[in-house]
Amino acid sequence: MSYLNQPDYVCYVCNCGSLKPISKIYFCRHCSKIRCGYCVCQEVDSHYCPNCMENLPSSEVRLKKNKCSNCFKCPCCFQTLSTRAGHVPLRVVPADGEDSKDVKTTPKKVYYLSCSLCRWTSRDAGIPDQSMATGGWPEQENPHTSRINTLIDYHKILASIEKQQSERKKFRPKHPYMQIIYLFSFQAMFRITSAMVRKHIGHPAKPTNESTDQPSPAVASTEVEELPTDIFTEPVEITKITTLEQRLQQPDVQTENVNELRPQHRQLLVRRSQRCRVCEHNLCKPDFCSQSAKFKIQLAAFYHVPEVRIVTCEPLRPGKSSELLLKFCNPTQHQTQVVLLPLDTPMTPILTLVDEKEEVKQDNAQQGSESPNLLPSIVRQVPVVEETKSIKITANADVVLPQNCLILPRRDDAAEYDDTGDTHNFQDDPKFVIWRKGNKAVIKLHVIPHENLEENNNQPVVIGFVMQYRYVNTITTLEHKAPQKLDLKVKLYLTIGNIVGSA
Amino acid sequence: MSSFVNRRTNVKIAVGALVCEESILKGDITIGPNTIIHPKASIIAEAGPIIIGEGNIIEEMATIANRLPVDAPEPTTIPVQIIGSYNVFETDCTCEAFKVGDCNILESKAYVGREVELTSGCIIGASCSLTESDTIPEDTIIYGNECQRREMHGKPYPPISQIEFLLKILPTYHHIRKPNIVPTKNEGGL
Repeated sequence: MSYLNQPDYVCYVCNCGSLKPISKIYFCRHCSKIRCGYCVCQEVDSHYCPNCMENLPSSEVRLKKNKCSNCFKCPCCFQTLSTRAGHVPLRVVPADGEDSKDVKTTPKKVYYLSCSLCRWTSRDAGIPDQSMATGGWPEQENPHTSRINTLIDYHKILASIEKQQSERKKFRPKHPYMQIIYLFSFQAMFRITSAMVRKHIGHPAKPTNESTDQPSPAVASTEVEELPTDIFTEPVEITKITTLEQRLQQPDVQTENVNELRPQHRQLLVRRSQRCRVCEHNLCKPDFCSQSAKFKIQLAAFYHVPEVRIVTCEPLRPGKSSELLLKFCNPTQHQTQVVLLPLDTPMTPILTLVDEKEEVKQDNAQQGSESPNLLPSIVRQVPVVEETKSIKITANADVVLPQNCLILPRRDDAAEYDDTGDTHNFQDDPKFVIWRKGNKAVIKLHVIPHENLEENNNQPVVIGFVMQYRYVNTITTLEHKAPQKLDLKVKLYLTIGNIVGSA
Repeated sequence: MSSFVNRRTNVKIAVGALVCEESILKGDITIGPNTIIHPKASIIAEAGPIIIGEGNIIEEMATIANRLPVDAPEPTTIPVQIIGSYNVFETDCTCEAFKVGDCNILESKAYVGREVELTSGCIIGASCSLTESDTIPEDTIIYGNECQRREMHGKPYPPISQIEFLLKILPTYHHIRKPNIVPTKNEGGL
């Protein structure tokens, strides 16, 4: 929870250059690299309604304009509306000639929509009550339907023309550099055809001769309707005018008065899966069932990368050394060793404990080359390779890093309930390792903030170091059958506090 | 002030009202018929008497207080807090308004300050607070974390069925204060 509520004190540098807390990063086991939300492929897995939790196939979603057909939200406060049963309201008085007793003998149950937060009801809007609980609520008519439809039709024609053109230059690569990429992969043909297939699914082919009936273009007008004269004299009744937010929730009508608000269909949400852009393996894939909160694949970094937390820090004074206690936690099932290195260490991973040297070469070659073909190219997005961003944060304090390494035993869930104490016998330097329990250890570092820092300019003290950790990759590939041991490195930036007092 | 006089003598409970023994009543209070005061609801008449009408529901931890601000000068007349009929004071709301009409609902954790006048059919939403001097027009609902206002289509219905249920169920589990006035005269702002 603290990761959700607190500012990010400990940040890991992702391979794309963004700074993220450990709760927001992924760890690709296939590339052995850290990925974050900015440098993965986001894919829409399924659409579902947040209220009734119904899963909808994407074709149906497009027809329903990303909205649930059963659930409504309040036009006033945007909460979900609930259906309420009531009897025929007393205001419905029978016609003068009829006997009122006849009406009373047949009480009819009617249903209306009501908001439990702001008590808006469909009766407020003058929507007639329904005799069925499931609805049949009147749909709001979009005043611009015909214009939108003609525009959509016209764009379908344009799309079909474009499709024909792309068919013509089927085997002609557009850019020379693409050609080089495609030489190394066999997907060159597939990629172009997949784009065609996608278009083919979306829109049936249309004859090109329709392109002549172009819809009349929109005309900009400089004349604006005059304001009614009473706008200056009538007092504004704020309770009867819709807010900007309420208007924007109904972009097609944009009603001005509160009593013209109509219930809106609840918008659907999507479940996303994340995919590594380099190796195209899934990093995170939620369960398909919208009710379930589990994941099929969840390669989050806090399952693989040692977690660093700030325990305490002595008051920081410019140029003076202060003690900083950091807690390291090994989340993996394998023993790891952590070495802290200065920030300017090269970041290439070191592959250790591998018997043949060939494997190293193969591994490097694989990482550099095009991705393995995992999915049919229709489903795949073309990976967008982004430039690595420069790191915006700068460390403004020096850390005295220890020479020796910290060994963290493997995670053992049962050990938490074990009262007998730890049986490990690590040869720890008591000046370095303060405390140790199970897979966690607290170490002591010395921080010296730079001399030019001052107390009152509110600049937090930031330290940075490279953490090198032993990672055991249990994924077996064709090339490596045995688990690999890798020494991986990650850059960390820690915001440890503010300067207290002067030197 | 009147500490050695029995406190209960100041509390006038009409026949038909249901006031739980564990409710906190201080000062000169008049409670109308069919009004239900839950255990641990507090009604504090510090600055002057409180007159509560008919068919109100005052839930647990709700506070109705007739009190003056700390730095206020001594008033020339004794301020009387009048609460109308069929109002609902939900759990942990605070009402210091000197005048409350009929059919109002104060939802949980709502706060209505001293200078506010609630007319009738108003709903003060959960956790909304009104502190400035104001008269809330009829059928207004104040809701949400920004205390947005809207005019409602109609008044909320008086909670008749809830009153009936509570009249039946509360005496089976709680000690009840005995009514001590017979509603011969038109007592309690009816």
